Parts: sequence; structure tokens; C-alpha cells
Amino acid sequence: MPRDLVIPPKSLDEILDWLHPDRDHAGEIYVQLRHDLTKIFTWNRCADPDGLTDEVFDRVSRKVHGVRLTFEGDPKLYFYGVARNLVKESPKRAKRQVSLEDTDLRAPEASTQDEVAHMREECLNRCLQDLDPEKKELILSYYAKDKQAKIDYRSEMARELGITVETLRVRIHRLRGTIETCIERCLDRMGQKR
Amino acid sequence: MKEEGATDALLRQFLLGRVEDEERQRIESLFITDSQMKDKVLAAEQKLIDDYLDDCLTKADKEAFLLFHGDTAAQRRKLEIARSIQEWAVNRTGKTPIPATPPLSLWDRLRLPKKSILILPIAATAAVAIVFALVWVNNRGTERNREFLAVQQELAQLNTPSSLRDVPAEVHLTLKPTVVRSVESQPELLSRPNIHIVELRLLWMQEKDYPSYQAVVRRAGDGQPYTLDNLTIEKDGGKMIRIRVPARLLTRGNNQIELTGVAANGSKSSSEIYSFFVSE
Repeated sequence: MPRDLVIPPKSLDEILDWLHPDRDHAGEIYVQLRHDLTKIFTWNRCADPDGLTDEVFDRVSRKVHGVRLTFEGDPKLYFYGVARNLVKESPKRAKRQVSLEDTDLRAPEASTQDEVAHMREECLNRCLQDLDPEKKELILSYYAKDKQAKIDYRSEMARELGITVETLRVRIHRLRGTIETCIERCLDRMGQKR
Repeated sequence: MKEEGATDALLRQFLLGRVEDEERQRIESLFITDSQMKDKVLAAEQKLIDDYLDDCLTKADKEAFLLFHGDTAAQRRKLEIARSIQEWAVNRTGKTPIPATPPLSLWDRLRLPKKSILILPIAATAAVAIVFALVWVNNRGTERNREFLAVQQELAQLNTPSSLRDVPAEVHLTLKPTVVRSVESQPELLSRPNIHIVELRLLWMQEKDYPSYQAVVRRAGDGQPYTLDNLTIEKDGGKMIRIRVPARLLTRGNNQIELTGVAANGSKSSSEIYSFFVSE
């Protein structure tokens, strides 16, 4: 689970300066880097990817003052190096620290499951309503057809949009990510996240 | 770094947790630093999720997928959301509803002969049994068909020219046609759990070459062959056609490959048979 990460302001400034001289751009890189590292921890089947990402930034913040002067190359690779070390340490961590989110404290009753499914559906409808009509149409078309028809149709879609199928998939991936985040927030607001 | 890029097939293996640590680190560091690579990985991940949602993954791929993408509560929640989006889209496209049979009116029911009333439960039971049997047979057929299509798709991905060129082979076995090899012992492949993909190098002994080749893979004790089209010949010293198959596809016993040259007009050469024994 994500921790209450508090990076000292001076270290945060140094990290941002190291990532990019333009502060706005550095902020974007920072957010993206967090996202990428979380994904890498997930791919490596680490328990608590969010917590480990916090740990990476925590460790880097303690060394950034010296490291940024000596490290050569893309600073993101330094963060990745720290993340790799954590991946190696991670199995040992898992024994001591279990993500509460993954602990099945109590098997949900069927009625609770139905309720959650209903809430998820409601959140999905809300999130889709808020979506830009063009994007809504894109995701609707992408998922609309069945099996083989779907494969052919997606190629046709990509052709019409003047992009490759790969680019279309990336757009859908990102769009799905946006909807997921919206649904998660909506469920949080509803006080039920499962 | 061994290579600069990564093929779709390699990325799929990466996402299913089937690449060595060194390769994994190479892909991960490129994912972080190279926006093009990031897009490739995300596209491969989207394709994998699509295949999962469409139930187009082989059993082994599905297991690996769920291990790496459906292991935690958060991952399962994401998959549930992806499925909900898909269901929403399918429902929104307006599937034609199947018209419900209008209920019998009281008059219709009264008009039914008494004998029919007695026969009805028996007929209904028989009808239900037949429907169940048909559904069962159909499901088995559909399941087999789905599995077959998934394997065909996987084979096609493993054998694209770029995959063959860019992804190093884990293990390979060079085979001669059985007619040439008659006095030699049959080549043997030892099945090991850490081997996922096997490359078979089929030596082409015929004088004439063809623009493309077709290979039919026949597994020991399995009547369902898999076909690979548009294979090309490589001339490095001798002439050979390389094909890659998932190791799990090769069953213990005598496996066979039938290789045929395909001319530009579609006519085919005589076939060469290559056989090898898989042991554990």
C-alpha cells in the first residue's frame, strides 16, 4: 500500500532539477516515472508495488544530493537501478510485510459481491458519461465486435484513424487506465473498493 | 545490450514472465527511458488483455497471464473493470434481442389435448436432456476450436520473420528428412521445464528452392495437426527452414513435421517428413 511519503522539500527540488531543468516538465517526468516503476514492480510480482515505488523515491531522496553530480546518463536509470535492488529484496519483504489489500480478511458474501458489481457498474456509467464523446466512441468501437470480426474491425478502425493497430492499442490502454482511475475514485467515494 | 528493440512475440513472453532476468532488465530499462519501447510494451499488454477477455489464450498462457496480471486484488479489480467496459460496449452496440415465445393464453392451454398434458413432462425432460447434451458437445467443440486457434495464432507469432531474426532461440534441434536419415538414429529432444520454445531447423535437401514453405506439425498421439505457412528458406552453408514451436506443444513420443515447398503459382513440391522423439 502507498505510504505517507514525505520527501524533504530540498531533496524533492533536487530530484526535479535532476530529472529536467524545466520544472513543469520535470513534474510530468516524476509522475510518469512513479507510474512506470509501479508497473515494473507489478510485472515482477512484488507485493505492494505502490509501497515499493515510494521506497525508491525515499532512497533516492536520501542520496540525490551527491548522486546527481556523479551519475552519468538518464537519471531515470538510477531510479530503475534502485527499483531492481528492491525487486531482489522483495521476496524477503513479502514474508514480513503483507499488503493488507491482498489479505483476504473475510470472504465477501454473495450479496456484498452483487452490491460491489452494481456499484462498479454505476461508477462505470458515471465515468463514461464524463468522458469526451470522441474517446467514448473510440472505446465503444474498439470493444464492440466479436472475436475475428473484432480483429478485422480494429484494423479497419486504425486505417480510418490513420494510425497503426499498435498505436490504437496504446490509445485504448491509456484510455482504459483513465477509466480505471475514475472508477477507483468513484468507488472510494462510495466507500466500497474491492 | 544484446539488441536494440523487441518484437511483439518477445514482449508477449516478457509479459507472461518467460524471459531471462537479463532480457527482462533490458526491456524494463527501455520501457522507462524510451517512449517508443513504452508504446510497444503497452500495445503488447493491451493485446494480451484483449486475448484474455476474448478467451483466446491457451491454457498455459492463461495461467501465466493470471499469475502476472491477475494475482493481486488490485490487478483483479482492473481486469474486472476491463471486462465491464467490454460488456458495456457490446451491450451498447445493440445486440438484436431474441424474441421471447409469447406465453400460451388460457384458451390455448385449454385446447391442448389431455394426452399432451401427460406427455409434456416426459417430452420436456427429454428436450432438456437433448439440449444439455448438445450444449455439452458444442462447448467441448468450441473449447477445442478455441484452443486450436489460440495455438495457431501463437505459432504464427513465433514464426514471423522478425521473431525468428530478433529473438534468440532457447534450444534448437537440426533435423534431416527421414528418407535421408534412414540409417541414423532418430534425433531426440529432452523435455525440460525451463525450455519454453524449441527451434527446429529443417534441412532442405531437394535441389529446387521455393519462394515459401509450409510446415505441418503432427504431435505424437494427437490427430490435430498445426500448419505454418509462408516460411522462408535460409542458405547459410546448407539450406534450411527454421520453425519455432512452444515446448508444451510437443508431446512425449514421436513427433513429426511435414514440409512442403510452395511455388509462386501455389503448386506444391513433394513433401519431406522430419521426425524426432521427445522424452522426459
